[in-house]
Amino acid sequence: MKLMRIGAVGLAVLLLGTACTAAKDTASKPGCDKVVTLNLLRAQDTPPAPSVLKDWEAAHPCIEIKVSEVPFGQLADKINVIAGSPTPPDVYTYDGPNTATYASRGVIAPMDAAITAAIRADIIPATIKEHTYEGRLYSPGIRQSALALIYNKDMLDKLGITPPDSLDKAWTWDQAIDAMRKCQVGPAGNAKVWGLAPTQSGNGTPGPSYVSLNFLRSAGDPKADQQSSLYKTFWALAPDGKTINGWLNTPEAARGAQIYQDIFNKYGISPKAGIPNAYADGKACFDIQQPSYIGKLLAPDATFKTGVTPLPYVTTPITQTGSLTLGVGARSKHPKEAAEFVMFVASGPEQLKNSQGDHSMPVLKSLFTQLPQYDSYPLAIYRNELEQWGQPRPPGPHYAQYDSIVTSAMRDIAYGGDVAATLDKAVKQFEQIAGKG
Amino acid sequence: MVPGTLPRARRRLRWWNGVIAAVLCAVFLTPYLWMVGSSLKSQDSIFKDASGLSIWTFLPHPATLDNYVDLFVERDLGRAMLNSLLVSAAQVVCTVIVCSLAAYALTRIDFRGRTLLFGVILTTFLVPSEALVVPMYHVATQLGLNDSLWGVFVPWIASPFGIFLLRQAFLDVPRELDEAAMLDGAGHWRIFRSIMLPNVRTALATLALITFLASWNAFLWPLVIAQSPENQVIQVAIAQNTVPGELPNWGVVFAGATLATIPIMVLFMFLQKYFVEGMARSGLKG
Amino acid sequence: MRRFKTYLTAAAFLGPFLLLLVIFQGWPLATMVRDSTRKFSFLNPDEATSVGLDNYRALLDDPMVVKSLQVTVLFSLGLVVLVIPLGLALALFVNQRFRGVKALRALIFTPVVTSVVVIATLWTFLLDPGHGLANTVLGAVGIDPQPFVTSTGQALPSLVVMTVWAQVGFAMILFLSGLQSIPGELLEAASIDGANPWQTFWRVKLPLLRRTTLFVVVIMTVFSFQAFAPAYVMTGGGPESSTVLFVYYIYQSAFTYLRAGYAEALSVLLMAIILVVSSVQLFLLRTKESS
Repeated sequence: MKLMRIGAVGLAVLLLGTACTAAKDTASKPGCDKVVTLNLLRAQDTPPAPSVLKDWEAAHPCIEIKVSEVPFGQLADKINVIAGSPTPPDVYTYDGPNTATYASRGVIAPMDAAITAAIRADIIPATIKEHTYEGRLYSPGIRQSALALIYNKDMLDKLGITPPDSLDKAWTWDQAIDAMRKCQVGPAGNAKVWGLAPTQSGNGTPGPSYVSLNFLRSAGDPKADQQSSLYKTFWALAPDGKTINGWLNTPEAARGAQIYQDIFNKYGISPKAGIPNAYADGKACFDIQQPSYIGKLLAPDATFKTGVTPLPYVTTPITQTGSLTLGVGARSKHPKEAAEFVMFVASGPEQLKNSQGDHSMPVLKSLFTQLPQYDSYPLAIYRNELEQWGQPRPPGPHYAQYDSIVTSAMRDIAYGGDVAATLDKAVKQFEQIAGKG
Repeated sequence: MVPGTLPRARRRLRWWNGVIAAVLCAVFLTPYLWMVGSSLKSQDSIFKDASGLSIWTFLPHPATLDNYVDLFVERDLGRAMLNSLLVSAAQVVCTVIVCSLAAYALTRIDFRGRTLLFGVILTTFLVPSEALVVPMYHVATQLGLNDSLWGVFVPWIASPFGIFLLRQAFLDVPRELDEAAMLDGAGHWRIFRSIMLPNVRTALATLALITFLASWNAFLWPLVIAQSPENQVIQVAIAQNTVPGELPNWGVVFAGATLATIPIMVLFMFLQKYFVEGMARSGLKG
Repeated sequence: MRRFKTYLTAAAFLGPFLLLLVIFQGWPLATMVRDSTRKFSFLNPDEATSVGLDNYRALLDDPMVVKSLQVTVLFSLGLVVLVIPLGLALALFVNQRFRGVKALRALIFTPVVTSVVVIATLWTFLLDPGHGLANTVLGAVGIDPQPFVTSTGQALPSLVVMTVWAQVGFAMILFLSGLQSIPGELLEAASIDGANPWQTFWRVKLPLLRRTTLFVVVIMTVFSFQAFAPAYVMTGGGPESSTVLFVYYIYQSAFTYLRAGYAEALSVLLMAIILVVSSVQLFLLRTKESS
């Protein structure tokens, strides 16, 4: 009993101590009329980078940024909890394709007032499209992405395989799978060196729609008749953001999904479970990656040489675009300062630093002139894909749900589920949610 | 018992026991050994060692503390452990006090509706806390408990399980004791303090232990309520690396899991007695 | 007057507990029930619209409700069916006296005190088809690598086995104290009557353990209806929804599919189920006691 009493007193003191140190944060700063604190929610290792925050502090000493961090996989869930709370963040780092989801539910505020016509004209059209909801622009964007196939050049040289180095010669998936099978070391489904690395997006298991939807959409054709399933397959969701039957579960989409399934089953050239850094560790010949992944791999001191070839296709070449971006909280008490901060992170100099740092692509067209590495192989592949093949993710305020349903459907397909039935099930599931909210 | 038959029977028993015990050890110890062993390995060597069963599957070679250094230096795990300790200890103290007071009233003060009240409290025991997390979040934020260590433990102080357990212990204290005290003119407060509490020490210790475990191991609620890095508790900090969403480095995950587990294991080893006795009390006579 | 004073004293003792209970159980419960008749997402709860019983109607149409209930019932059946005999067998075993038995008891109980997050994570890696220890061990005895949680057939059994591993120590401890509360005279009487250990177990011990058994069934059933972390950490409910535990589906509805009102309706259903199941089981416990 006595021990417990001592413990209780000690504890009270400790807790009080914590409370006091927390209270100290509100002290005002010399040189500022008032200190505004902006709460920023972001995922680990996502923008704005620490260097950007340092630049901001130097330029705006009276507006402090308080960062809350969650793991990337929990970012969407966290936003869903915190947005409705009495103290929602002032600035969100979120996945750009979710713009409509958040805009339609009053999580983020439109930013067209802060984005001048000049800036707007400089932003890549795909980004504008991604960040627009009902005619209003919600974020200037801070970087763009595209997917390409990267490969271990040392391994492929030994086999005498030279993947194409320009978009017009891009492989189809049949050709790519052929090369992957040749390069794999060990039996199908249980390899020492895999033909294709397991994805590094999502949770590392197969399925992330950012990657897998390319297989489905690539089996469609935007130039076909607008009533045809070939046309609809390419868009994978109707422009209304709701109609999905006949768009996601077409015979063509099933063909694309079948290729995806074959990679994991029939050919066994990619593992069903995640392996961290499989490609970088030399355990896979090919990997589907963004440019930001390959900075270290292209360095002269890398353990092996890496090449880049365009993302293979089925019928129509495509790479889905969209990346993390920043938005102003709709219920922020400091909307002006928050917008100022977002514009600062999205400004030319900061984007340029970002791109020079990790090879991610900027969203401002004018910056490419200062990034000569994007003019020549290998990074030119990414830039050309973005400009010529790039397509935003399917539209609408239900994208977040769509993303998660397609991801789990494609995972089921990779695990060997019946292709047509799984796509039909995904369609029904989405209809129920989009229809009834 | 005939003296002559004992040794042979016992020897046979011992032989069988040895085999069974060894199998049980393998089943229950191996995963932990693998966890601790792998936490001292680099990513590459975890994978290499998994491709063939040998002693090296469990023993690090060479051993590296990189994963632990990474956790403490890069991810501020020390802070999270301290937070967990604070929160768990606070919850233990508050729960024990609040529940023992209530359990006293439910067993020693005669008022109408007592049984009904106990029934209602027990019913809330069955409410799945997972289902309540979201409405609870709104309630807690309205009370200003959002994003603080207080918010992590205050909602769970009133533990129906605590009532369940302590009420039983209080009922087992002979009525004659407090009746005698009452004749001596003692009030409820004195009976509670000097007669009841000393007689239910085991139950109090059990409640303290179970509360500590629950608090230390809680995950979903702290994840939701305490957002800032400085308010993070250990399970959430670990989950930052363990939730497969991050496609983690296995070694770091194992190191985190080891750190989150070892304190509780040590505590349990020392206080096993209370646990067993308390379980018997709470469960089987209720 | 005296009666009033009694109430006052009772209130003083019960006050803190009841106040906290009302604030942190009653209030959220009321919120939950109210919100189950609304359509909203947590993204912006102020924009809620009342939809009457629509959420409950949608629930009847939703094949995922049936699926997740099936999964949860299978999960709880698997857990109960395995945990009861295993827990009892373990209790009988560690009820003997031999060197190290205390350490062995503690070891078997250890997973119970380990956090579910840690266990689920540990098992994710144990069962990894590529580099997991489980396949390494199987390989050592000549069995082909198994897909475990990546296949529809093995995913739920994998979760059941993991949960049995984690919870069997709890059942063991309960059975153990049940065994130890059997009066020694009864066992002595049985052995004087010439009963062998086998007969003693079936005729004396088992009947006396009936209440303990029922109690373990209650605990495990309620536990499995509340299970969440295995699906969250290990499988994400897949593959093909084969592990979509009910609480996980509630979580998904609220946070992934942004249907908070619907999720609250599901929560109400879950509560009703748990209340019914455990009332029935508690009723059985009562009658056994009085008989």
